Amino acid sequence: MDVTYLNPILDATNNVFDTMMGVETERGDVKLREEISTDNEANVIIGLTGDIEGSIVYSFSKEIALNIVNEMAGMEIDEIDKFVTSAIGEMANIISGKAATGLAEKNYKCNIAPPQTVVGKDTKISTGTDNILSVKLNTKMGNFQVNFSMVKN
Amino acid sequence: MIWKESYKIGVKEVDEQHKELFKRLNSFIKTVRNDEDDKETKRKKVAETLEFMGDYVDEHFSDEEELQKKYDYPDYDKHHEIHEKFKSEVKEFAEKFKENEYDEEFAMEFSGRLLTWLINHVADTDQKIGEHINKVKEERGEK
Repeated sequence: MDVTYLNPILDATNNVFDTMMGVETERGDVKLREEISTDNEANVIIGLTGDIEGSIVYSFSKEIALNIVNEMAGMEIDEIDKFVTSAIGEMANIISGKAATGLAEKNYKCNIAPPQTVVGKDTKISTGTDNILSVKLNTKMGNFQVNFSMVKN
Repeated sequence: MIWKESYKIGVKEVDEQHKELFKRLNSFIKTVRNDEDDKETKRKKVAETLEFMGDYVDEHFSDEEELQKKYDYPDYDKHHEIHEKFKSEVKEFAEKFKENEYDEEFAMEFSGRLLTWLINHVADTDQKIGEHINKVKEERGEK
């Protein structure tokens, strides 16, 4: 699996967390998977088309999803509702937009599709390939995963 | 919404307006998330806070764009386009909101997206304006 496109995506993730929340993301375990079934409660799928085809699936634990939204909104929300999934979805959208810019700098031109959110654990997400790289990211607000399933055109 | 010092762009008039914008979006979000009122009262309050926020979005974007022009901001066109797109989304929401019965999911979806969008716009996209303006101010001896 070609991983040259990994860093632009992870850099974009770290950059957005840092700018918006002053929080660093630390890279944890990296795993190869054949399929994505959601390990966490709040999941956002972003499709990519162009020189690289595939999807990025951001999978947030309930803890970090609520921490992010409460930190931004200054509220005490304790359930994942439409407001939370929408705020998290937009965040994944912003990260992916930045990732696309980073990929373009490496001469991969890609477009991103609008975010789709999936709430709940153990839902199988179809990504079109059986070659998925899953990176765990740890932050002081909680943990999440970024999964990439991509093929180069 | 929580305002952070790191969101400042270093241009006083813009930073003050951003703070006000945060306040107004905050009152809109709080109204959307408040479940104490009956549907009709809530609908009225959401419409009011939406208008209160929308008016200020227009005013602030126009002031900020004036400043960009005054200091020959090179990304003016792109930034203007981002502002226009955002304004039309707010307008579109306001229109749909007027037409239909109060739709909780719709309002929650819109306000959640707005929260993240605005923070990112101020904390990231607008920072480049601040850098540029302060550089030009120095060159022009205004600082």
